[in-house]
Amino acid sequence: MSDSTKAYPNGPVAAPRRVLLIEDEANIATAIAFILGRAGWRVSTHSDGATALDAIVRHAPDVVVLDVMLPGRSGFDVLAAIREGDRPDLPVMMLTAKGQTKDRERAEALGVSRFMTKPFSNQDLLDAVDGLIAPGRAVDDGR
Amino acid sequence: MATIGSIGLRIREQRLARGIRQAHLAAEVGISASYLNLIEHDRRPIGGRLLLQLAESLDLDPAGLSSGVDDDLLGRLRSAGAAQGLPPSSLATADELARRNPDWAQVIAAQSATIAAQARTIEALSDRLTHDPALAEAMHELLSTVSVVRSTASILAQTPEIDPNWLGRFHANLDADSRRLADGAEAVVGYLDRAAARGDDRLTPSEMVARFLDGHGHRFPTLEAEGPSAIPDIVSEITEPQARAMAAALLQGDAEDAARLPLDVVTATPEPDALLPLVAGEAAVVLRRLGVVDAARGLVVADASGAMIRRKPVAGFALPVIGAGCPLWPLYEALSQPGRPLVRVIEMPDGAQWVAHAVADLRQASAFGAAQGLHATMLLTRAVRSGSATPVGPGCRVCPREGCAARREPSILPA
Repeated sequence: MSDSTKAYPNGPVAAPRRVLLIEDEANIATAIAFILGRAGWRVSTHSDGATALDAIVRHAPDVVVLDVMLPGRSGFDVLAAIREGDRPDLPVMMLTAKGQTKDRERAEALGVSRFMTKPFSNQDLLDAVDGLIAPGRAVDDGR
Repeated sequence: MATIGSIGLRIREQRLARGIRQAHLAAEVGISASYLNLIEHDRRPIGGRLLLQLAESLDLDPAGLSSGVDDDLLGRLRSAGAAQGLPPSSLATADELARRNPDWAQVIAAQSATIAAQARTIEALSDRLTHDPALAEAMHELLSTVSVVRSTASILAQTPEIDPNWLGRFHANLDADSRRLADGAEAVVGYLDRAAARGDDRLTPSEMVARFLDGHGHRFPTLEAEGPSAIPDIVSEITEPQARAMAAALLQGDAEDAARLPLDVVTATPEPDALLPLVAGEAAVVLRRLGVVDAARGLVVADASGAMIRRKPVAGFALPVIGAGCPLWPLYEALSQPGRPLVRVIEMPDGAQWVAHAVADLRQASAFGAAQGLHATMLLTRAVRSGSATPVGPGCRVCPREGCAARREPSILPA
């Protein structure tokens, strides 16, 4: 199991919103964590699909950013388990490099809150995560 | 507008520092005060003899005027920033970034070029993805790495005051991911090579000719030296008979152009307007010749249907490998006005501006009453940024411009 919570520069410290980033690529996790942390999110990272639900219980995030391809358990399976678990309304954004229609449809059928394809701009990512806890959030990135 | 440290601004600074009036300096070097004013505001390029004269008049080493940030690097940095949506005020600080961190400025510029190249690769391969799981997997890996590089490079470009520890970590990540990107690209190329060896690579004769021309940069020294007699030997490397015949016909045209505008003439006078009188005003000959001879220029030739029948790419101006070009290119405007030479300043999505010379000319008729072909030719020359330019793109499939009235199909690039 590999997860961590770190302070990232320039973010507000009072009552930050919490995001759990479930991503096994260390460098993309570093970049995303920096971007979100700088914008005031308290970022926890976790790299294993099999233990992702435990990490959600442990970190109690406001939002989850979930990669599709994870070791141990796919992002789709993790999403399905979230929707059947104790926090079915937890906002979840899925990240994938494939962006294929079938992936998007599968994620939407499982109840994803937002779907984003790589590569993305840092601002788009930040807007998307911010939008997850804003009213009237969109379902996908429109691609 | 002059940017910090631009050559125009340096001339202006040095002139003012010496208390020399603009009109006085202009008279000394034999140009008008208004032209010097344009140079000082980077609205006209400067180099060669005039730069030497100005340096002499200002009592400076010529390198003192031109030794700021490398203009090419500056252009690539601004393009990288524009591609990431940086506002003009941030783009204007590219010079400062390049001066303070020249090595990392090179890295950012190189990564941006890599991402642009990958976008073109994606275009060429996208049609195969649906049917080829192995290629889809390789592209998935490539896109993931591009994503990391893009995010990390953006952080570095947009966070001037970054903690040294984070800076070191991101630099290390960029280094590792750029290697991974290279490995991934190599894997995809290797996969395609193996597919070609299996006979999966079904190139048409025109695609074979395009590959042959690109492999030689569209320029053949023996054709320049020996004329049409060199053609059989040059095209002998093409094994497919139809492709070989097409290439031979194309080189015959190049040889005829070369006979009318010899290499030494074109090299000494690389301006389209100056060459026109030498070929009785046949603008297409001038554009083709300059496009073939000058590696820094791009060339596109289309037939009356708009299909591109020759593409000579140039760094910074992506030409689509598959499908048509941008409908806003002057190439297509020329097709609607045969015989009228056009010149337009156009701007690509990365902010780079180009001078596009274009003309459409009727091919020679074989008989009275016979159908006559029409070809449009466009020459692309990198321009110094000016105030106004027509926004264009590389072709709809790889163009990021949103809300373009001329768009005929969605872009495959991420929004």
